[in-house]
Amino acid sequence: MEESTSLVCSLGILEKLNDNSIQEIIKSYGGFCTTTESLLNGAGDLSVGPEFVLHVHSLCKHGLQSLVCDHFLLSLEQAFERIGVTNFWRHFDSYSKVGVVQKNNSSIYDDDVQLVLCKALEEMSLEKQYQEKCLFMLVHALQLHKESMFEGKQNADSERAHLFAKYQLMVSSVLMASLPLHFPEILHRYFKGKLEELSRIMDGDLEGKNEFQDKDNMDLDEKGKHRTGEMDIDESYNHGKFSEKNKLVKHIGKVVRDLRSLGFTSMTENAYASAIFSLLKAKVHNLAGEDYRNSVLESIKGWIKVVPLQFLNALLAYLGDSIGYDTPSSGLKSPLASHLSTCSSEIDTPSEGLIRWQLRLEYFAYETLQDLRIAKLFEIIVDYPESSPAIEDLKQCLEYTGQHSKLVESFISALKYRLLTAGASTNDILHQYVSTIKALRTIDPTGVFLEAVGEPIRDYLRGRKDTIKCIVTMLTDGTGGNPNGSANTGDSLLEELNRDEENQEIAGIDDDFNSDDKQAWINAACWEPDPVEADPLKGSRNRRKVDILGMIVSIIGSKDQLVNEYRVMLAEKLLNKSDYDIDSEIRTLELLKIHFGESSMQKCEIMLNDLIDSKRTNTNIKLTAAKQSQTGAELGEDAVSLDILDATIISSNFWPPMQIWHLWHVLEAQGASRHHSMWFPEFQDEALIVPEPVDKLFSDYAKRFNEIKTPRKLLWKKNLGTVKLELQFEDRTTLFTVAPLHAAIIMQFQEQKSWTSKNLAAAVGLPEDVLNRRINFWISKGILSESVGTDSNDHIYTLVEGMVDSSKNGGNSGSCEELLVGDDEGESTVASVEDQIRNEMTVYEKFILGMLTNFGSMAADRIHNTLKMFCVADPPYDKSLQQLQSFLSGLVSEEKLELRDGMYFLKK
Amino acid sequence: MILFRWHAVASWTWDAQDETCGICRMAFDGCCPDCKLPGDDCPLIWGACNHAFHLHCILKWVNSQTPQAHCPMCRREWQFKG
Repeated sequence: MEESTSLVCSLGILEKLNDNSIQEIIKSYGGFCTTTESLLNGAGDLSVGPEFVLHVHSLCKHGLQSLVCDHFLLSLEQAFERIGVTNFWRHFDSYSKVGVVQKNNSSIYDDDVQLVLCKALEEMSLEKQYQEKCLFMLVHALQLHKESMFEGKQNADSERAHLFAKYQLMVSSVLMASLPLHFPEILHRYFKGKLEELSRIMDGDLEGKNEFQDKDNMDLDEKGKHRTGEMDIDESYNHGKFSEKNKLVKHIGKVVRDLRSLGFTSMTENAYASAIFSLLKAKVHNLAGEDYRNSVLESIKGWIKVVPLQFLNALLAYLGDSIGYDTPSSGLKSPLASHLSTCSSEIDTPSEGLIRWQLRLEYFAYETLQDLRIAKLFEIIVDYPESSPAIEDLKQCLEYTGQHSKLVESFISALKYRLLTAGASTNDILHQYVSTIKALRTIDPTGVFLEAVGEPIRDYLRGRKDTIKCIVTMLTDGTGGNPNGSANTGDSLLEELNRDEENQEIAGIDDDFNSDDKQAWINAACWEPDPVEADPLKGSRNRRKVDILGMIVSIIGSKDQLVNEYRVMLAEKLLNKSDYDIDSEIRTLELLKIHFGESSMQKCEIMLNDLIDSKRTNTNIKLTAAKQSQTGAELGEDAVSLDILDATIISSNFWPPMQIWHLWHVLEAQGASRHHSMWFPEFQDEALIVPEPVDKLFSDYAKRFNEIKTPRKLLWKKNLGTVKLELQFEDRTTLFTVAPLHAAIIMQFQEQKSWTSKNLAAAVGLPEDVLNRRINFWISKGILSESVGTDSNDHIYTLVEGMVDSSKNGGNSGSCEELLVGDDEGESTVASVEDQIRNEMTVYEKFILGMLTNFGSMAADRIHNTLKMFCVADPPYDKSLQQLQSFLSGLVSEEKLELRDGMYFLKK
Repeated sequence: MILFRWHAVASWTWDAQDETCGICRMAFDGCCPDCKLPGDDCPLIWGACNHAFHLHCILKWVNSQTPQAHCPMCRREWQFKG
């Protein structure tokens, strides 16, 4: 076969052939073949060299140059395949199953792998070097021939390069063709191991091993001269670390170079890239972990610079440098190494390849961190103010990766799974909502993603009854209405309001005083287009303004509802005050005014004003009383003087309607040192009969008020307010702060130690059942005792005098008990918004019943529409369908109506 | 038993026969449409005919009725009750 091809090749020369030369050719060819054989299989024996050169020379003389080359290369290939490849792969045979079976305990093999790989590579490159030497011999012979022919060496280099390239191609193709499946895995593992080692060194763990490492420094890399080239890269590191690292890098570099020279360039690159990435990933996970209090991005970046980049830098530099020094064998340049040699030593102007690597690594780090943080976003937001570094990190990551939608999706599902469940308290949800707003506002100032994330929370909260109440409490109350929650989470909303006030970021709907030209210009100047993800259906930018209050109000639907609820709560709070100190309320009100507009807060303002006026009037009245008692002293004989009476005088039209009967409220125990709680029962105004002396005080006070403020007069709401009193017995005195009702009850016992419930009820002016319930307060305190009278319906209450009884009854054992009792009966003084609506709805009951009589059956929305159409006069129908529905279901439960298939019927 | 302090709650009201101002139809205990704060800031005034109005309301009325104003309720000549 070769014969024929070579004959074809040398057709031109055939003409000149004569017997003599044919003889010579045959002889030379025979010699050439045998010498080739002995060269390649002779295991390093180059003694036949000169003979070989001679034969080559003579063959070339006859123009059989290409035949020589082809034959030589073929023999090389065969030899390579026979000896090198099989030997090479045999090294890795024992690992053929490692990659598949035992991923977990792979670390055991790591050291092994490294050793074997190094050994195999060493052998292989020795083999290759030898073959290359042979090849060089051929080239040399050819060159000699050429020189003798043309007296010069014109294209000798290209000839040589051509041959070596062919050889290289042969080597790599042979290796690739016989590549075992697990080899990439081995490579990966090797680099991983080495990189881990490197990163350990960088972490400074192995500093103690310096001297020991120096000993075997040389055997791995005899080209110590390279080191100077790399020194500049990391001068900043101490020498011990440096030399170790340097050694390691060199070691790796050598392996990489060997691998490259065998044609595994891309596979090697893949292997160390994947190793670097997996190391980076592990590092990110390790650094980021569960700690959200520190920003990790910078340290990750720093780590990237220190470990993988240094490694790559050194590696690339090493490979780049080594080309120059290397034996002719490494004729193949890697694409990466090709342009590195110039800038390897200057860290200030890193090479393009290095920058590309850096960008790749950083992006990968960002993405990994981002995924990590997004998965834990819920937890991060739970402890938001502390976890803000993590949020900052996430923000930066997202800026790079732009995968906001991932965040939204994962966070919403986390919310649905963990927060929006029946088990979560409304307060917690609200707090999380607020934290979410704040956190996402940092990440995305435009609020587009916030809108998407907030939607499910808002929808869910709308379905909860106590949402408004919780919101208002959160807004106004420092503790956020969350008794077991820490204070710092609670006052955040008020803080928020404060800050907004300072920033003058006013989101109120009806205040346009900030839309002057300057502001408009500022707004226009900082306009940015919406992110691509913005949902065009979600309306204009205004709706998406990231204003916490606005977002919270949007849960409720309208600010009016919120203001109303606030008014109810404010009323309760103000009525419970016994000093006139309303500074914090005024502050809150001012803040609310900014956000909701002055007009909607007007009633609340009047309420606060009442308190201020009351204080003034009260002191005024006291002053005149004091003057009169000095001059006239007509009241001086009284057991109780006007001094003990303070009054809060309200403009009743502007206060929310007071609760009627049976609803009671308890505020938390006030003052840790004393056992008392505050009680606020609510009665029809005139119902409560206060004891004679107090009543006299009342009328006196009213008279004085009337004198000062003619023609205004006072109407007492005797059941409202607080009474501080001290009960004195033979052996003890106890201080209480109670509701007027309780005071009235206990004062009845001053003259008479024992009362039947009927008589007592009449004396105090309460229905008997209410009295029986209310008197439990004193019974639980051990002040009164209860016994069944002659009539089984009649209870007898007796004042307990002795200490024994009181202790038996638990005595004044503390505020806990008081609270418990309170909770049983607790409700608010002021009618809740719900009750108000219900009261208002009763007006329409007749309309509804009439309608249903006429039409037989109607759906709720039809009733709603009809009411809207016909009830335009006083009072106009202004309720929502939802409110109507709840009222209708109330009627159903009262058995006035029936509900079947969504239609309401009259109950027959 | 010693009573230390009784903090009571009361509401004030104008000692007028009517509930609402005949001019603005707002409650006396409220305030006229121009005012924000009820009570001292928006007082009532009685005419000689014993009809009461918000001071601001009747002043507006009187000023618009030249030369002689009448009580909006009873059409008698309007005189402030001294």
